[in-house]
Amino acid sequence: MFRHNTLRYGALVLLAAGALAHAFTAGYFGLEILTEILILAILVLALDMVAGFGGMVSLCHGALMGVGAYAFALLSTKAGISVPLSMVAAVAITGAGAWVIGTVCARSHGIYFIMATLAFGQMAYSYVFEAPIFGGDDGLGGISRPDLSLVGIDLDDSRSFALFCLAALALVYGAAVITLRSGLGRSLSGVMHNAQRMRALGLTVWRVKADVFGVSGMIAGLAGVLAAQHSMYISPGLLNWTVSGEALVVVILGGLGTLVGPLVGAAAFVVLKHEVSALTSYWHLVVGGILIAVVLSRANGIFGWVEARWGAKLDRRLADTTRGTEAQEVTGDA
Amino acid sequence: MLELQGLDKSFGAVHVTRNVSMKLERGERRVILGPNGAGKTTLFNQIVGELTPDKGTIHLAGQDVTGLSMAGRARQGLSRSYQKNTLFDGLTVEENLGLAAAVHTGHATRLWSDSLAKPEVREIVAEVANQVNLMPYLHAKVSEVSYGVRRQLEVGVALATRPMVLLMDEPTSGVGPEMSKGFHDLLNNLPRDLTILIIEHDMDLAFDVADTITVLNYGEVVFDGLPEAARGSKLLKEIYLGSWQDA
Repeated sequence: MFRHNTLRYGALVLLAAGALAHAFTAGYFGLEILTEILILAILVLALDMVAGFGGMVSLCHGALMGVGAYAFALLSTKAGISVPLSMVAAVAITGAGAWVIGTVCARSHGIYFIMATLAFGQMAYSYVFEAPIFGGDDGLGGISRPDLSLVGIDLDDSRSFALFCLAALALVYGAAVITLRSGLGRSLSGVMHNAQRMRALGLTVWRVKADVFGVSGMIAGLAGVLAAQHSMYISPGLLNWTVSGEALVVVILGGLGTLVGPLVGAAAFVVLKHEVSALTSYWHLVVGGILIAVVLSRANGIFGWVEARWGAKLDRRLADTTRGTEAQEVTGDA
Repeated sequence: MLELQGLDKSFGAVHVTRNVSMKLERGERRVILGPNGAGKTTLFNQIVGELTPDKGTIHLAGQDVTGLSMAGRARQGLSRSYQKNTLFDGLTVEENLGLAAAVHTGHATRLWSDSLAKPEVREIVAEVANQVNLMPYLHAKVSEVSYGVRRQLEVGVALATRPMVLLMDEPTSGVGPEMSKGFHDLLNNLPRDLTILIIEHDMDLAFDVADTITVLNYGEVVFDGLPEAARGSKLLKEIYLGSWQDA
């Protein structure tokens, strides 16, 4: 089950402070990179919920993000539905699609689960690529961002949109924590530890997995909506399995099953991508090398490594300090 | 409360359960004895739904549950503990009990509320923890407690679903004599209306808790009766009890 500890709270504060500082000081390109990080962070949070806490390694989260993006684009540009309502509908549609995928795939596990989700993802990719309504290879353009002019916010401004995405990420993080600490989240944790025992207790295991997959799909859908609003243009490439693969790399790089780790992973991945690609077009080789080093180090990603080294020590030190302060207060009272 | 009629199960040419029938009344405590390979655990697996019998029916509280899944049977009031610990090692003792209690109370699938914070779940956790002497270990992770405590928890998790019928597969497996004695008290202190079916190799425990005894040999029921009759049975002495009674 998900638990916060001192290190996780500390990392969250640092990440939020870093993002805010960057949002208020960076220029246009810096803000574009920050927004890219924030949207990727939302997608990998969704993936970490199912892969890190339910053992469901999904290779269709890229496609789910694409479903969210296309649903939003179609509803807001072709169906003439308002942007806020299109956003809600796109998230709901993606969640429902993810629930159906989860229902089918939850009956398998391990490599079979991965392959089943990959198949669903590629089916969605092929369909979007071929169907004329989605614009085929040309994609869809003319996508709008929400109009918050009533409260004095212009989301067409890069800084405002980056802050909007940061707020969305904070909301999603809270929702993920609440879900993982809920009865459903606890059951998911039980299923990951021992699915057979959960069945023996009377739990319908596939239903729990499908429900969490649905929630995760909604979050991936929101990432898609924001990605569509960010670039104001979408193409079928968004649904390709490589997007899911990249998201998985980010989760593993950051720290599977930690929620905070994938946020670190998203920042590290996007920064690496931009910095290394400025030096060489073979940036994938560098990222691949780092990923291999992380996996071979047997640490659970960057954040997992930090947590293993300092997390427990920090908690103990804080507990000792608290006890010491209490003891002093008691002595003082006496 | 639990009625098995003509259960039969084969794995290829190996016939592991042969026409097994038995009827347990409400509150009855029946011990299943038999040498290794007699088919005791396979019978348990069929009763709870982990295996599908080739023939025969299983009725729980008058209802035919043969076609139900394992989860479906558990929801009808059938619970089991395992010979090998089948716990949630990364979680605490409290969380282990809480998972079972949440399934029973319907909080296991709720999205917005923490099941372990629910009063009815906490009540079951506290009650079961008292029943199986786990109160001192509630906040310890399963991986941090002793083997004996894990055996108690194994039973506790099964009890936390508030079953009508509890199946216990060698609850004292691998524990020392002192711990085994603790299990006598634990079993004797369970509510008298709980129907219990136990596979047990500890003869002292078996005869201490049993109202009735069933002996399996090569998948077949060869004895079904009172403990006193089991002690005096020549057949049992030959196939199973000889070395124990001589000792």
